Amino acid sequence: MKVLLVEDDAALAEALGEALTDAGVLVEQAATGGEADFLVRTERYDAVILDLGLPDGDGSRWLAEWREDAIELPVLVLTARTRWSDKAAGFSAGADDYVTKPFETAEVLFRLHALVRRSHGHAHPLLRIGELAFDTHTGSVTLAGRPVSLTAQESRLLAYLAHAAPRVVSRSELAEHVYDRDHEPDSNVIDVQISRLRRKLGATCIETRRGRGYRLVDGDAAS
Amino acid sequence: MRRRRPSLATAPIAVRLLAAALVIMLISLPLAGVGLAHHFRASATAAFDERLESLLNVVVARLTYDSSTQRLKHDAALGDPRFDQVFSGWYWQVSDGADIRLTSRSLWDQRLPIRAHDTVVTRDLLGPRGTALRIIERDIHLAPLDTPLHVSVAITREELNAALDDFTTRLSASLIGVGVLLLLTLALQVHWGLAPLRRLQADLNAVENGTREMLDTRLPAELARLAGAINGVLARDQRLMERARHAAGNLAHALKTPVSVLSTLAEGFDDPARRRVKAEVARIDEAVRHHLARASAAGATGLNRRVAVAGTLAPVLDGLGRLAARRSITLDSDLPEGLCMHLDPQDLQELVGNLLENALHWARSRVLVSGGSDPYGTWLTIEDDGPGMSTDERRQSLSRGARLDELQPGSGLGLAIVNELVSLYGGRLRLEASPRGGLAAHVWLPDHVPTKA
Repeated sequence: MKVLLVEDDAALAEALGEALTDAGVLVEQAATGGEADFLVRTERYDAVILDLGLPDGDGSRWLAEWREDAIELPVLVLTARTRWSDKAAGFSAGADDYVTKPFETAEVLFRLHALVRRSHGHAHPLLRIGELAFDTHTGSVTLAGRPVSLTAQESRLLAYLAHAAPRVVSRSELAEHVYDRDHEPDSNVIDVQISRLRRKLGATCIETRRGRGYRLVDGDAAS
Repeated sequence: MRRRRPSLATAPIAVRLLAAALVIMLISLPLAGVGLAHHFRASATAAFDERLESLLNVVVARLTYDSSTQRLKHDAALGDPRFDQVFSGWYWQVSDGADIRLTSRSLWDQRLPIRAHDTVVTRDLLGPRGTALRIIERDIHLAPLDTPLHVSVAITREELNAALDDFTTRLSASLIGVGVLLLLTLALQVHWGLAPLRRLQADLNAVENGTREMLDTRLPAELARLAGAINGVLARDQRLMERARHAAGNLAHALKTPVSVLSTLAEGFDDPARRRVKAEVARIDEAVRHHLARASAAGATGLNRRVAVAGTLAPVLDGLGRLAARRSITLDSDLPEGLCMHLDPQDLQELVGNLLENALHWARSRVLVSGGSDPYGTWLTIEDDGPGMSTDERRQSLSRGARLDELQPGSGLGLAIVNELVSLYGGRLRLEASPRGGLAAHVWLPDHVPTKA
């Protein structure tokens, strides 16, 4: 999962960024609304964490602009506002959910996972593809009930495929959502990680569609 | 508490004015009465004496001495038959102090005592049969007698006394009547005069209850100035309160980001350091929220207008409704039009916002906000169909420092704040099991806000 964190307070941005990274989320940061605006329009993210108090205009103003321009990515608003009228303004601008400062990282992650999952149209936090089960909140993976241990990178890759399943995901889409924009991988890296996942989950669970990309399938049904 | 004895210092103005008037009347009216009675007595007695003197003159004028018989003669009657009725109280007597005597028939065998005087003298004495008499007497020289003759005319005081008594009775009655009339008109006057003061007080009550914002200054000049001054104080109070709330809000706002940083950084620590730092951070957050709620509610208590519940909550319900929809929860509200509550609009939003936040956190599919009023106040209920709370959990969640669920942060946090806010407004927060399965939070606020927080 790749997330844009828009927060002007450097200390909070750093702390929250680290905490999210530790939880396996790929985090990119913007300190101003203008910077966030540019990134949202040029990069692909699974969600945006948006602080309402930004130096160059209220966060809800930027959010309203994005929604007007049909940028529909899930937005989780961070607010230190104590007044409900201000919070309500955030919703009216098009926020999908909010977390009030001071927050707990677990709360932010919980909301974030739920937003991304729902943006892919899944109502239940546990995604099942055949015998494979992916818990969107904890990131844990089980195969036929047995836990599978994955690296952070593998976990992100599988999470994206699981959210998108049964849709085919192109290599460029994967690269955009799973990898840092400064370290865009060559196609080889994706191939290597896909084959590692296949080793851990069974060869048939990730289908390669030539020229189009990958998708998660019910391994048994395919064989 | 010991009851203070009633004293004039604390007595109502009307009572003070009436008491003062009563004291003045109790002194002045009897004085006037005594003065008037004295003057009437003097003039009535003078008139009586004049009548006596004219009778005396008639007696003297008709008195002759017959030298041949050596007898005094009094020809013709005095014109009043009572001089001829025995012991009628009307008498005359001429005497030389020895043998020569001439009396009215009415004296019969009695005699009037003699006191020699050259001039005309009037005095009171007791006559025959103990009758109080007014007597006039003088000595005259009638030729050819050598010894002076003492002439007296006496008339009973009965008539005079009756006239004097009658006057006194009438005077007292009139003075009492005047006193009562004065007191009545004074009472009316005081009532009328104090009416603006009562209006001012009613106005002040209205301001306190929130039905008015400022005092009406269309009052008599002195009170208009007072009302103006009170309005000034109210306005300044409002400004100070706003400033204090603003300052509290700013401080809370400024603290929230660093507290978030600490909380997030603590995630990276190992237990027990993590647990301890997080507990302290939670304490800071709670203190901030607690004092922010107090700053906003305590200052405003007692000076709030009635706010329309549905209108005030519309943005909150709208915003949280969208959020709920995204979480696949239906947020319904059933708030009657015209339902009003006595509290600051922001506090109402904070109160319901916190309860809704909590309900949405736990709800499975539905949250309902409803409201209504009873004779003494207004109630709001927020129910969810989540897992609900045990009796112990409900009790704990209302006390500060309680944290029900460490896994799902933020849960139950708002309840303690809501509880405080509600009690600052003199209301109650009750947590119960909802018929929908989850928690039902009932908020009740009185229509009449207690003056002291």
